Amino acid sequence: MTSEQQQVAADQPRTVGLLAEFATQDELIRGARSMRTNGYAELDAFTPFPIHELDDALGVRPTKLPWLVLVAGLVGGIGAIAFQWWTNAVDYPMLISGKPLFSLPANIPVTFEVIILAAAFTAFFGMLAFNGLPKLSNSLLRVGRFSTVTTDGFFLSVDAKDSSFDEKVTGEALRLAGAKHVEPLTEEPNPSAMPRAILMGAAVLGSLALLPPVIIASARSTTSDKPRVHNFFDMDFQPKFKSQTSSRLFADGRAMRPRVSGTVPRGSLQQNASYEFGFAPGKASSGEGDGSETATPQWVKEVPMTVSTELMERGRERFDIHCAVCHGKAGYGNGLASLRALELEQGTWVPPTSLHSQHVIDQPVGQLFNSITNGVRKMPAYGHQISVEDRWAIVLYMRALQRSQQASLADVPTDLRATLREMN
Amino acid sequence: MNATTVRQIKNLPSLQAEQLGHWPSSAMRIGAALLIVSLAIGYWSADGMQRLMHVYLLSVSFFLSISLGALFFVVLQHLTGARWSVVLRRIAELLTAAIPVLGLMMLPIVLPMFFGSAALYSWNDEALRQTDALVQGKTPYLNAPFFAFRCLAYFTLWTIIARFYFSRSVAQDRAADALPTEAMRKWSGPSMLAFAGTINFAAFDWLMSLDPHWFSTIFGIYFFAGCAVAVFATLAVASAILQRFGLISQAVTTEHYHDLGKLLFGFTFFWAYIAFSQFLLIWYANIPEETVWFLHRQEHGWQFVGLLLIVGHFFLPFFGLMSRSARRSKRVLLFWAVFMLAMHWIDLYWLIIPSASPESIAVGPLDLLTLVGVGGIWLATILKRAVGTTLVPVGDPYLEESLAFHNV
Repeated sequence: MTSEQQQVAADQPRTVGLLAEFATQDELIRGARSMRTNGYAELDAFTPFPIHELDDALGVRPTKLPWLVLVAGLVGGIGAIAFQWWTNAVDYPMLISGKPLFSLPANIPVTFEVIILAAAFTAFFGMLAFNGLPKLSNSLLRVGRFSTVTTDGFFLSVDAKDSSFDEKVTGEALRLAGAKHVEPLTEEPNPSAMPRAILMGAAVLGSLALLPPVIIASARSTTSDKPRVHNFFDMDFQPKFKSQTSSRLFADGRAMRPRVSGTVPRGSLQQNASYEFGFAPGKASSGEGDGSETATPQWVKEVPMTVSTELMERGRERFDIHCAVCHGKAGYGNGLASLRALELEQGTWVPPTSLHSQHVIDQPVGQLFNSITNGVRKMPAYGHQISVEDRWAIVLYMRALQRSQQASLADVPTDLRATLREMN
Repeated sequence: MNATTVRQIKNLPSLQAEQLGHWPSSAMRIGAALLIVSLAIGYWSADGMQRLMHVYLLSVSFFLSISLGALFFVVLQHLTGARWSVVLRRIAELLTAAIPVLGLMMLPIVLPMFFGSAALYSWNDEALRQTDALVQGKTPYLNAPFFAFRCLAYFTLWTIIARFYFSRSVAQDRAADALPTEAMRKWSGPSMLAFAGTINFAAFDWLMSLDPHWFSTIFGIYFFAGCAVAVFATLAVASAILQRFGLISQAVTTEHYHDLGKLLFGFTFFWAYIAFSQFLLIWYANIPEETVWFLHRQEHGWQFVGLLLIVGHFFLPFFGLMSRSARRSKRVLLFWAVFMLAMHWIDLYWLIIPSASPESIAVGPLDLLTLVGVGGIWLATILKRAVGTTLVPVGDPYLEESLAFHNV
């Protein structure tokens, strides 16, 4: 083929098949059967109304879509069960009204919905895919007489992809099969080009979609003397009292209600003062022998819990979480927060005390416990966020930390002393 | 379908008594005899009357559920203006013909209650009413006279609807115009509303009040779901039998069986959906007054009946009837239809019998005797009513469309 011929071929629309028109539905069915007898397989028929015999005449095989839908439904169902098991029972176990973490009945509704969703999506998008939809161009619509297909036209098409397809031979076969008119189906010059209407529509929708962000941006960068718009008025202004506010409802004018005197909230009964507060009730003597009472509480001298390796490990873990950020992991007061505050030259920052300074070492465990619970100087109170047990664990670990920085050779077990020297 | 067959169906002769032979009278005699034998067994065995009353209620409920399902089917076809189903409608109309007789068969349940019998409904026990605050509170509703009145009201209403649709349908066979069909369509809305209300409360009265403490607002729908499953299964079996004896020619085609299969499949799922909805809320809330009903059905072997229902009344038919080719195969469809009727009976067994024997499943000869007994009288009534009518509504204006019906 010369380049000129190629040029001509490119200008000529490519033939993608033949379209035959039949006078009646019976002739169409006979025609389809005869074409199939002639060995054609890539047939399709177009009629104004459904004709049940056509499926058989065209040799249309049942669609495989139901199997895909079944598989999608099963996968969706098993996936939903597995996902709920993983989220509810494994990754984030949450006990709800005493049911087992993985309760099948509770998971059925979601599973059911996911099965439906997976099956419906597969059916819908699978149908589109199997039919080759959406189509950007349709060569049938280029044939003028095809418009009668919605009123009284009966059409049969043979696709050029058919192995026996030959424009002349196939056209003759269609005429012999009873077609009253045969004409070639030609491809549009640019079959995969996006139609202008769709491009225009997308452009219009795209520009409209820009409007909300533009309005929001302009509203944020300008001022307005109009009152603020409350989209959810009852959410912005809720009929409730916030903490530390006043209320005319109560005689004392406070919105927050104090405990009823003589009562203890559930779970707050503190029966062992030494354990709960770190000091015993009453005042200690000043220790100077003059018998006068001072404000010094009777601090607990020993950790009032069974000391174990687990408690020590727990203390280390809690210390590293809550204390080390200021006090430093080793307790010298050089935690990251403190270093950063000093670097920024924060005038109000008071560097945390080194836990290895003598006055801290001298403090009884009860006093350390009290400092954690209620805070000391600029250090805030941690009593509301660290449990009593964990606070004692931290105190225990602090004692170990202090001893570690004051250690002598006598503290090292004899059988390990040799390794110490080597590491040094 | 060719024109000859259509003509043949349109000229279908009415059913003659000779064609049925001895069947109606034999069914009646066997049914009555078995019920008398059941009564004797119940009377002479220890605690037998209580058991007998329960299995009798089970058997009546089973056949009533088929007839009520048929009533629903008939009214539904007119309500929706369905055309595919015309060839099946006469069979459903005949199934509803047994409703008045089933109403009479409720008398052995209702009458003893006026003499203080609490064999079936413990709320009728005067002593319990004095001691049990809940039963006492429900007495304005759960008492023998009002119960009997409601039974009468339900059956009167169902009989009126059933007779109306049967007589108009038969009249349409010979009518020159479509006036009977128009009348049937006009009354289908009110009839459906009346049916929905009555079947709901009938299920509350007859089945739910067996445990007077327990309540479930979805219970009536649960019973209805069973009725629907039962009628679609029965229609498939009945059409196949009638066709085998050449009584309805080629009127019911693969397409109609296919649609019955779809409906059976759909309502099997609907039953499971409703059954699970009832269970989920009670399970989740975990309130003793509600869970006790399931507790009785989850111990002493009853849990296996419950599991059998989950598997047999849902999973097996769900996958068995899912495929189009299964529904289009008469053999496969009939298998599932018979299977679902059996499962429906087990479902009712699971609803009713734990009230009589919570400690054991205790299947006995009375179960079968009363089932065949009530069934014999039910069948005889339907067959006798069928004599003199054609088994296909030959005058229905949509008959030809139904015959030409084709699943796309």
